Amino acid sequence: MRPENYQAVKLGQSNEYEIFIGPNHPGIEGNYAFRLMLDGDIVVSGKADAGYLHRGFEKLMEGRLWIQNLAIVPRICVPDPAPMEVAYSMAVEEIMGIEAPIRAQWIRTMQLELSRVAAHLFTFGGHAATTGMYTPMFWGVADRDLVLDLFEDFTGGRVYSIYNIPGGVRRELPPEFLQKLSNLLDYLESRQNDYDNLLFTNQVFVDRAKGCGALTQEQALELSVTGPNLRACGLAYDVRRDDPYLVYDELEFDIPIQTAGDAYARILVRRDELFQSIRILRQIIERLPSIKGKIRTPIPNPLSWNVRKGEAYARVESSKGELAYYVVSDGGDKPYRVHVRGPSSMHAVQTLEFLAKGARLEDVAQIMFSLDACPPEVDR
Amino acid sequence: MKKELKIIQKERTNPLAHVFDDFISFCQSKSLFMLHYCTGCGAIELPPAMTSRFDMERLGIQPMVTPRQADILLITGYVSIKTLKRVILTYEQMQSPKYVIGICSCTVNGGMYWQSYATAKKLNEYMPVDVYIAGCMPRPEAVMEGLQRLKDNIRNDKKEHKGSAWKDYFNRYDYYLGNQQALFGDDWQTPTDIIAEAKLYDLETEETYGKHTKLLEKHQTPLLPQEMRIK
Repeated sequence: MRPENYQAVKLGQSNEYEIFIGPNHPGIEGNYAFRLMLDGDIVVSGKADAGYLHRGFEKLMEGRLWIQNLAIVPRICVPDPAPMEVAYSMAVEEIMGIEAPIRAQWIRTMQLELSRVAAHLFTFGGHAATTGMYTPMFWGVADRDLVLDLFEDFTGGRVYSIYNIPGGVRRELPPEFLQKLSNLLDYLESRQNDYDNLLFTNQVFVDRAKGCGALTQEQALELSVTGPNLRACGLAYDVRRDDPYLVYDELEFDIPIQTAGDAYARILVRRDELFQSIRILRQIIERLPSIKGKIRTPIPNPLSWNVRKGEAYARVESSKGELAYYVVSDGGDKPYRVHVRGPSSMHAVQTLEFLAKGARLEDVAQIMFSLDACPPEVDR
Repeated sequence: MKKELKIIQKERTNPLAHVFDDFISFCQSKSLFMLHYCTGCGAIELPPAMTSRFDMERLGIQPMVTPRQADILLITGYVSIKTLKRVILTYEQMQSPKYVIGICSCTVNGGMYWQSYATAKKLNEYMPVDVYIAGCMPRPEAVMEGLQRLKDNIRNDKKEHKGSAWKDYFNRYDYYLGNQQALFGDDWQTPTDIIAEAKLYDLETEETYGKHTKLLEKHQTPLLPQEMRIK
């Protein structure tokens, strides 16, 4: 179906023609559409058509209690929901002037890194599928499911956990959880060679991905690109290191960078990040048993909970890029205003439009998946 | 100039007719192509259900990319009003018999977004739904269970009459069209002529027509069979 307010343009004699991709299309990530002007199979210009997933999140949150909002916050980004909960909780904590106990902060860090592992595994599969390789998709989804099993074990939910609340986390880790986590990390590391052989050094994939959708560092900064997509352009910017939150300043990890800025560089950055996350999780397994204490700072009765007047901006590094919550309270039982700075709207709208220009038709899907945008977060 | 489509009434005189019917519904239930319109969050639980861990294909269900060849329309999650237009268009393009599965609580009653200004709350006001799978979001096991339920419904349709919800769209088109017009405005129309199809399949009832279809007729020209011309 044509986009809203579409008006056919009468053009003179020309070789150009229009094509619609999405919203229901195997080559598009989620419920999102793209309109392309083509000359042969070269894209002359592209126009994003978002809004299929708009639910009015920021308005909905103004009408709900502070504690009720925790339930809808993770729905903003479906493949990677944990950073949403943590960022919102951190912002509310900052307004209230409380701090989560140190053990809760370690558990939160563990949840964030596990979520990053799951999201990256999912992305490998999606990106590979756009180049016609379906085996990595099956592998990625199956390995991600093992991570989801662990999520279910310690939070109770497979995808949406709603595990964080302002002031800490909801419950203690189950017994022998860290052993299970350690076993999973062993398994994921043993898969490294398989993934390298199948995908990352596979000549079919390398030929398709190299040089596809290349960004320079200046262009990336101008387009507000963050996260792995920016690090693939050679700039080592990571909120975890540059503005440490939770316990990241006590952990050792590298920030993988690539310089080419194309689709292949982006997926290599994600691959390296996956193993950095495993390295972080190993340190957490080592340190967590020695950190004793509470997991929650008490908050007042949530049903009559007035957060004091103030505003806060909390940012975290999600698997897609820099994610931030700006929360304003007027002293009532509901937020006065919540603004979400999601990374995907910059990637899926302006960057994709920029990169599609001059690309070939079959590469558009690959560019979109290599940017790893998340349509529910674009529309909100 | 209005040409009427000719309807050939077939009387079933073969004594083995019900045996053929049973065989056909058996075959239909064993081979289903599924079009998943990823409208919302529920889409994230479909890859595990389709790939190696839960493996939908062992039920005889495979994803299909075009609506024209699909049997099942899977609506995964909340349906915003902009999406609902596309969903209805997709549904009308599909060929009968067609089945709709609503996944996630949002399709049942609005779910988490019950107060949102941008979403349609109940999917079965706009199209007949065969199976609802509640949950936010339902686990892959629940998705498989729902698909299994649909298969049983198709298989036992002759006895229990649960697998022919799609006929309701033709039988009570006025009701569905009214709800669609209330949401999208009076000038809403799709390229598909449902009334002509209802006549062709002999599925029209009194409730097929009403004030909403009259409103539609004002700005819709009926689809006529084209003459073959050789220049």
